[in-house]
Amino acid sequence: MSPLPARAALIAVAFLAGIVSAQANRLDTIRARGAVAVGVKTEYPPFGMLDGAGRSVGFEPDLAADLSRRLKVELHLVPVTTANRLQKLAEGSIDVLIATLGDTKQRREIAALIEPDYYASGVNVMLPESRKVADWTELRGNTLCTMQGAYYNRPMTERYLLNLQIYNGTRDAKLAMRDGRCDGWLYDDTAIAGEMRAPEWRDYAMPLPSLMLSPWAIAIEKSEEGGDLDRLIGDAVADWHRSGFLVELERKWQLKPSAFLQHAHAQWSEKDDDGAFVCARGAGGSWPARCRDEARANSEGKSRLEQIGLRIRELTGLDLTLVYDSYDRDQFLRGLLTSIALVIACVLGSALMGAAGAVLLDARIAVISRAVGAIATVGRMTPPLLQIYVVVFGLGSVTARWGLTPNAFLAVTLCLSLYAGSACAVALTEAADLLRQHRPDFRIVPRTVPLAFRLAYHPIVAALVNIVKATGMASAVAVPELISTSTGIIAERGNPEVMMNALMVAYFLLVLVVIRLFGHLHRWIVADERA
Amino acid sequence: MSARDVTEALYVWTPFLAGGFIWNVLVSLCAMAIGTLLGAVLATMRLSHRRATVRASLVATGLTRNIPTFVFLFYLAFLIPVEIELGGHLYAFPAWLKASLALAVAVIGFVSDNLSEALRRWRSHDHAAALMFIPNWTSYFLVIVMASSTASVIGVGELVARCNTVIGAVGKPELMLWIYLYAMLWFFLCCYPLTLLMRQVKTWMSRRLPQRTPELVPA
Repeated sequence: MSPLPARAALIAVAFLAGIVSAQANRLDTIRARGAVAVGVKTEYPPFGMLDGAGRSVGFEPDLAADLSRRLKVELHLVPVTTANRLQKLAEGSIDVLIATLGDTKQRREIAALIEPDYYASGVNVMLPESRKVADWTELRGNTLCTMQGAYYNRPMTERYLLNLQIYNGTRDAKLAMRDGRCDGWLYDDTAIAGEMRAPEWRDYAMPLPSLMLSPWAIAIEKSEEGGDLDRLIGDAVADWHRSGFLVELERKWQLKPSAFLQHAHAQWSEKDDDGAFVCARGAGGSWPARCRDEARANSEGKSRLEQIGLRIRELTGLDLTLVYDSYDRDQFLRGLLTSIALVIACVLGSALMGAAGAVLLDARIAVISRAVGAIATVGRMTPPLLQIYVVVFGLGSVTARWGLTPNAFLAVTLCLSLYAGSACAVALTEAADLLRQHRPDFRIVPRTVPLAFRLAYHPIVAALVNIVKATGMASAVAVPELISTSTGIIAERGNPEVMMNALMVAYFLLVLVVIRLFGHLHRWIVADERA
Repeated sequence: MSARDVTEALYVWTPFLAGGFIWNVLVSLCAMAIGTLLGAVLATMRLSHRRATVRASLVATGLTRNIPTFVFLFYLAFLIPVEIELGGHLYAFPAWLKASLALAVAVIGFVSDNLSEALRRWRSHDHAAALMFIPNWTSYFLVIVMASSTASVIGVGELVARCNTVIGAVGKPELMLWIYLYAMLWFFLCCYPLTLLMRQVKTWMSRRLPQRTPELVPA
């Protein structure tokens, strides 16, 4: 056992060493580790998907394999989703991200996007074949399924006034489209083309022209911008364009030949009179202006509030888009309102189910009371999240055959009300048992519910407060409440600190208000009893 | 899919799903361990003679009661880094541990409330009533096992997450309803008998008590 001060000093040294080694660049870390972790998609055929044995394959895993060959290290493919890919990059669980990431100005602020871009796609919509549209403006007010964190969500909403239903992943958005929850599926044109090869989409079409053509970039952590890794990967991509490697891969994975790759191949192979590549790195390490994407130099006008917000971000590193950006602010407020609506619906639903359940249980009608008892037991002894999945996805896939789809908001309200309502019903019947000790003929009927409620007040309020806290589960089935909107903003902005704290404070206050209201109710009941 | 196809698919995937359920139990046990430890600290503080200590404990307990576990799960998932560097070594901070920490918050509040009551009884030599803490704790553990299903939303490979994996791998949406119901059955078969048993234990214990103790309901 070493004496305490010595041990403290040892720990301090260990921390310092940690800080020093944290400054070492990523390329050295990769080489020291002997492996590079590359984030790729698993549900975006043919760019990133799983083969029969569960291995990642596709256009992008092929690029990752070539990169690891160039780095002379082993390759670890890490599955990522649209919603978590930049988060995984920022927290360091992957070194490189090759996951259909559109090159946008905003993303360049939260990650280092490698120049040049390696592919390009646009946004398009998959519609039932029967739906004849010739122009995007005809879709105004239509409900389209989409995925959280997609770069086109916001501009498409603003430009064409679409009503978006935002899902956590491709699978959920796809199922929702198939079950008829939305009029169309807003997605990447390359991905829709890939999907439509499957027979299940026989009656669907992609009649509109692609919009917002966006080049795709490989990304590394922001702090690595301009570093060795940035340079190495940039050179690799330039080489892929020159050698025709990308065009070859496009053919291998049976993609429609894209104009972007043709153009890039010609551009990057062009040589000047001395036989040197026109697109070669200059003295500072950057590519010549004519080889760079024009969007990289673009800037847009900013309002006064936005300027203040950006200034705060420069000074403190906190991105308060929630305050200065009207789109994010509206989203968050709408999320808050949806959460409040859910809270009210679930509390009323639970109270109603609890009262009705207790009356039926205490009525002792042979079959019905038994059945209610069984439902209440299942309701309490299974996780509410699973109940929600069963109703929304399980029953949804069955009822879709008749063109019916359960509304996610109602489904969540129903499941959470069942869960808390079961607890309330049991608490009421237990209170009735106590009451019977003095009044043997006591029965719970609608008129005597308040009497039993007074006795069962504490367990019932505990169950109701619990259900208020659990309303966040609605985010798992794409109800646009607080958690959904907060993670959506993080996916676009990369500001988890601000958004998660805002979310936590909002929910904390919501719970506090509910507890206060129940406190008032209690005081009112007590005063009523005294009167 | 016929009934036979469904049964066969469920049978084939059962070992994989069972592996997921082990994660539910592990995450919950870890949450109970952390929560009980910290909750016990708060419970002993509540019995202190110094008013400031008691008040600090009450404030902390109140805080844990107001924090929604599900939201806190996201909070930790986004704000704790995946790897923590200490002395040049990288230590992974796995998602399941984040889930355990989030669930532990609820356990802290529960243990603080129930254990302080139990300790009070123990000190007044009402040992039988104090021991009621044990079945209450076990019942709460089952509540946490059910809540551990929410860990799926931050990528822990527990039962519900594995159901989604199976649905993705089999690629037949008709299977969805059955696989989710099957997972529900797992939770039910684990939690229901044990809850009944704990109720039995409590009735048996309270019969040996001189006076009836108020029912402690886990919240």
